Amino acid sequence: MSILHLSFYSTFTLAGLGLAFHRTHLISALLCLEGMMLSMYVALTMWPIQTQTSSPMVLPILMLTFSACEAGTGLALLVASTRTHGSDHLHNFNLLQC
Amino acid sequence: MMNFVLFMSLCFVLGGLAVASNPSPYYGVVGLVVASIAGCGWLVSLGVSFMSLVLVMVYLGGMLVVFVYSVSLAADPYPEAWADWRVIGYGLGMVLVIVVGVVVGGVSGMSMEVGTVNNVGLSSLRVDFTGVAMFYSRGAGLFLIGGYGLLLTLFVVLELVRGLSRGAIRAV
Repeated sequence: MSILHLSFYSTFTLAGLGLAFHRTHLISALLCLEGMMLSMYVALTMWPIQTQTSSPMVLPILMLTFSACEAGTGLALLVASTRTHGSDHLHNFNLLQC
Repeated sequence: MMNFVLFMSLCFVLGGLAVASNPSPYYGVVGLVVASIAGCGWLVSLGVSFMSLVLVMVYLGGMLVVFVYSVSLAADPYPEAWADWRVIGYGLGMVLVIVVGVVVGGVSGMSMEVGTVNNVGLSSLRVDFTGVAMFYSRGAGLFLIGGYGLLLTLFVVLELVRGLSRGAIRAV
């Protein structure tokens, strides 16, 4: 694996671990999700550079579009949680607790 | 020249580490800003400056600004600092990931490098500009689907933050 591939692979895995081990705030998990989207954007851009084809350059732009949709939805959930519970702490989401 | 790309990729990974191991969301946003600026520098030094511009304007200037003021809504008034065992844990996790990547990929694979798009000859058409311009000619269907998705997201967000009372300005 070349060093550049290893670097965005490491960033994706680290952000994925940060999403899995989120601790207190919902917004920390949303920021880790954004980090994963950023590493995927850089990865999708490096592929047509390496193969010197221009058509797949559409894919990072499209991915950024849907990542913006997802970030907006996540922030709307954050605002809804803050309006209901007063904070975005993850122990507030205990409605399905047995 | 290659050393600059490697330095940018190192800053990218360190920014990702800051996002993952943040003691408070303020530091997570700082890490994400550093990672996105390093990613932009990386893409510029590889030659695709249009993708870097799109990343800066849409991601850093659009999405991260919204995240910054959402963090001011949601984070603690007295945040903790960096000196914590969690940061050390994530640092060890990163070292483990890199070691696994090097072992699986092989150390001899590291000598291959990604070529830039400024390689040979004279060209008035750049790879990134012509590729994204295909969005309007061949990829018009994807363009319309993306626009429809954004419009749908607008209504989704409107429904999610509806709440009990109405009004243009309300306290949270």
